[in-house]
Formats: sequence, C-alpha cells, structure tokens
Amino acid sequence: MRSFSRNSTLWLAFFAAAALVFVPACKKKPPTTTEQARPPAEQPSGPETRVPPPTSPAPSTIEGDITSQSLEEINRRGYLKDAFFDYDKADLRDDARAALSADAQWLKSHPSVQFLMEGHCDERGTSEYNLALGDRRANATREYLASLGVDASRIRTVSYGKERPFCNASTEDCWQQNRRAHFLITAK
Amino acid sequence: MRAFSRWLAVLAFVPAAAAQTQTTPVPAQPGPDIVIKVGGTGKRLPLAVPDLLAPGLAAVQARIAQPFSATLRSDLEYAGVFVITDPVHYPSGSRELATPQDADRWLGTGAEVLVDTRGDVAGDHVSIEARVWDLKSRRMIFGRRYSGGVSYVERIAHTLANDLVKEFTGKTGTFLSTIVFVSDRDGAKEIYAMDFDGRNPRRLTTHKSLALNPDARGGKVVFTSYVHRFPQIWIMATDGSGQREISTGVELNASPALSPDGSQIAFAGSAKGNPDIYVVNTSGGGLRRLTSTHALEASPDWSPTGRQIAYTSDQTGTPQIWVMDAEGTGARRLTYAGNWNDEVAWSPKGDRIAFACRNEGDFNICVMDVASGRTVQLTSEGSNGHPAWSPDGDKIVYQSRRGGSTQVYTMDSADGQNKRQLTEGRGNSVQPVWVP
Repeated sequence: MRSFSRNSTLWLAFFAAAALVFVPACKKKPPTTTEQARPPAEQPSGPETRVPPPTSPAPSTIEGDITSQSLEEINRRGYLKDAFFDYDKADLRDDARAALSADAQWLKSHPSVQFLMEGHCDERGTSEYNLALGDRRANATREYLASLGVDASRIRTVSYGKERPFCNASTEDCWQQNRRAHFLITAK
Repeated sequence: MRAFSRWLAVLAFVPAAAAQTQTTPVPAQPGPDIVIKVGGTGKRLPLAVPDLLAPGLAAVQARIAQPFSATLRSDLEYAGVFVITDPVHYPSGSRELATPQDADRWLGTGAEVLVDTRGDVAGDHVSIEARVWDLKSRRMIFGRRYSGGVSYVERIAHTLANDLVKEFTGKTGTFLSTIVFVSDRDGAKEIYAMDFDGRNPRRLTTHKSLALNPDARGGKVVFTSYVHRFPQIWIMATDGSGQREISTGVELNASPALSPDGSQIAFAGSAKGNPDIYVVNTSGGGLRRLTSTHALEASPDWSPTGRQIAYTSDQTGTPQIWVMDAEGTGARRLTYAGNWNDEVAWSPKGDRIAFACRNEGDFNICVMDVASGRTVQLTSEGSNGHPAWSPDGDKIVYQSRRGGSTQVYTMDSADGQNKRQLTEGRGNSVQPVWVP
C-alpha cells in the first residue's frame, strides 16, 4: 500500500505538471465569438467580489497538504477549477472538459474529499427556468467527473439558478462568470 | 324622512369586539326599481365619496376620518369599475337628499351615486354607517353598519369597498386579500406577505438562506427553502406559522404549486440532472413523475379544476409553455411566439394563462386565451416576470425591474392598464402570488 501511494504521488506530480502546461495553452486560444467568451482570467468587470479563482497555478498538489488546512482555506485556494457554460446550455465545452480532467486527477488523489457541484446561471433568463438549468449544469459536471473515474457518491449537486451570482454587472464577461458549475469542498 | 326611516330599518347593530373588525352581515335590500350594474362595458360609474362624517376633534379626523376615506376612495378607484368625482366640488352641509335640489347639488359634481359614510367614536371603538344613494331617484341602494376598534378603521374601509364591489358587479372584492412574495430587504431572500395594496408588509420566514417561489391556496403557503443547504419544499400557514418540510426524495424541489383542493403539490424535481414535473402529496409521500422527456421541465401550475397542469419545457429548443393532464398524459404545446416563455399562471376561471414572455430584449408579461391561443402583451417597460392572478381574475400581480431594483406591481389583466407599484425601498421584492 505504501508503494502504491508513493506511485500515485508520482502520477499526481505528472498530472499536475500536465495540467499546468495544458491550462495556459488553452488560454491562448482567442475567443471564437463574443457570445462564447471564455471565462475572464483576471479581472471581473463588475464590482462584485466572488470572482473565480485566479488561473495562475494552484498550490502544488504535491506540497498542498490539505489535511492541515480548513475547508474554508481549501476552497479559497481553488484547487479545483470550475466549468463554464454557454448561454442557456448545459453541454460541457472543451474548456470545461479540460478543467474537469485536471479536477478529476486532483480528486482521485484526494479520495476522502467530498464536494458539492453548484449550478449557476446568468441573470438573463427567468428565475424558475434557471433553477432547472443550474441543476442540469451541476449534474452534467458530476456525470463527466464520474466518467473520469471520480466516485459519484462523493459528489452532491445543488442548483442556485441565478440566485447567487459571482458577479453583478450586466456584461457578457460577467454573465460568463455566472454560467458555471462551481466546486465547494465539504469534507476533506 | 321616509328614506331615513328605511335606512334605520336596514341597519343592524353588532357590538364591537375588543380587537377585531366586526361587520354586520345584513343584506343590503336594494330598492326594488334600481339596478345598477357596472363592469364589462368599459364605462365607469361616477361616485361621490365625501369624507367620513365623524363628530370630534382634530385627532378623530386624523386617526379615523382621513385614513378611512382615503382607503375607501383608493379601493374604489382600484376596483376599475368606478370613478371618484373630485371631492373639491362636493357641497358642504347636510347630506340629506330630501328634495330634488339636494340631489342636484351632488349630480352637479358629475356623480351618479353618493357614498355617504358617518362615524361615531366611543373610546377605542368606532361605528361607521354607510348609505349609498342613487342620486337621480334619491333611493338608497345599499346600507350597512360596520364597527370595530379604531385601529382597524382601514379594514372597515376595505370591507365596505368589498361590499360595494359585490353590490355593483356581483364579484368578490379583493380589498382584504393578501399578496405573498419574496424579498431580500432584510438580507437573505425570505417569504413575506402584505395587504393587496402593498401596505403592512410582514416577514413570514427567517431561514437566512434562500426562500423562493411561494404559492398559496386555502390558507397554506408552499415554497422552496435552502435552509438545509439542499432545496426542499416547505409548507406553512399564510401567517407563517406551522412551518414544515415536505420530503420528496428527489432534488431541485423548485416552484411548488398547490393543487386547487390543497392535497397535492406539483413541482420541478430532478433525478440525475433531468428536471421533470413531479407531484407529491401535501402530507408527504405519494411521489410521482408526470413528465419523462430528456428535456428540461419546470415551473408547473394547476388549472383551477385541478385536471390539468401547465408548465415550461425546452424540448423544442427554447423554453415554452406546455399543458398536460394532471396524470401526465396528453402533453401539448401552448406557446409558439417568442424564444423564452416561463412562469405560467392559470387564471381563476381557467380560460387564460399569464406568463413571462420574451422575443427580443427584456421579458414582459403575456396573457393567452387558452382556447383560441390569442395572446396579448401587457407590459412594455422594464424586465418583467412571475405573474399571478388576483382572486377575481381582474388583476395581475408581477415583478418588474426598472432601474436598479425589482419590485412588485399590479395591473388590469384585460389590457395592462392601471399599473401600480406595491413595494419600494430596500432590496428587491419578487415572485408575488395573490392569496384570496
């Protein structure tokens, strides 16, 4: 068991490195249309505070001993990258799949972690429909993680529709930030 | 003199209870030859509604006469079938209609009917007599006495206004009805209630998380609460008492709608990310799924007979309003115009549906005649949503975002006229529903 665990640590290092290479590579792709703008990297356009975690490398999964951190701190550090969606869609885009692939590796290396996938929507639709749309987004993410080998029993989903926006400006940048499935780690 | 003695005959005295409005349910006994019915023709009946005559000091005027008369006039204007002639032109002095000349002084103001109210104050109690006269014939067509604590003087005015609407239109007035809604004025979104005109707002929940999408019927309110992190359906009385969670066994638990008999709740539920319409017993248990598409179904509402459920489905690519039997069979699409229709509400008679509609730009409120499919858009300003019907079907209450915040408004359901803003101030007020 000990050697296995060591092996998996090595694997982890590999994947973490791969993820670090992969994510910036993705970023260089220009947005295809303004409608499908990628999640803004640095600054949110609105004055709100709940911006997505920075896309700079997360604290290394090797040295990131989460057992010594509070749940709040773990969530604040943003080890897991959220998945972003197109308007009125719950299909996973390429950038979402890339983020979730890296997330899956981290999750498999931290098998005791339990987490919540929160489905969020932008402000433009009606609130009741958006609650159902957020449910689809959260579950699309859950299913994809499960397909990558993350035990589905670790994942719970909740939809907030457009009730808990990350950003409050009426701009496409802000709407894109709000169309997401967001990770919340609930047990480490 | 004759008229006055008849007035006395019609009145009945009911002793006032300590802290509640007492009305005397005495039949009005309208005069035999006078039939005044309004509504439906578009013509509004002109009323003279002079101030309540109440002997007493300025304090009595301020505490009783002014709030009573202001409430009564406001209600009667709001009913949509009366017009109040300008009080500035009302004759002073005696209101007796002993001679044709007495009536002419009122007819000269443009009024056809005089609503004469007189009050007596004794300690903490007030007794108010209402006499309603057809001015041309000088016949009394309505007479009733109301009494109660002085702090309930506005309730007395609402009760009288309801009685007058009933007298002239045959419909039940809405002036003692309640609107339940969601507001974040105190921080988290909670369920609130207020009078039909926006007065007396009061908070019903303190869940300090998210309380959403109330529906109300038969003295009960159902809503969705995130108080235990995952959304669940809750039920309570319209005063907020007796709050209880209803376990469904599925996720999402959004947009609960009470069946007309109150025994069941339709809602948007989800198992593994496929939102469908479900029904659960109000007592808990009996869960069944009514829709089984791979598309998204949400936001159900029962027809007034309980035989059908209207809801939103995106199975054609955009959110549209559909209807099915309450067993889940016979689904058919109702809306074809626009690229986003949601939040359907069935009219009390069942002949119309109201919903949030969008083609381009902002959302509006649309009303469709179910049989013909004919649809009218009732709003054109702001971003509007979540319509609900008044108990008599004459009004629609809805949310509208204009400027920075979203507030609750009402308008006439026939043509969108008489828009009134009911809430204001801190925060947003949304998702209103009208409780009979």
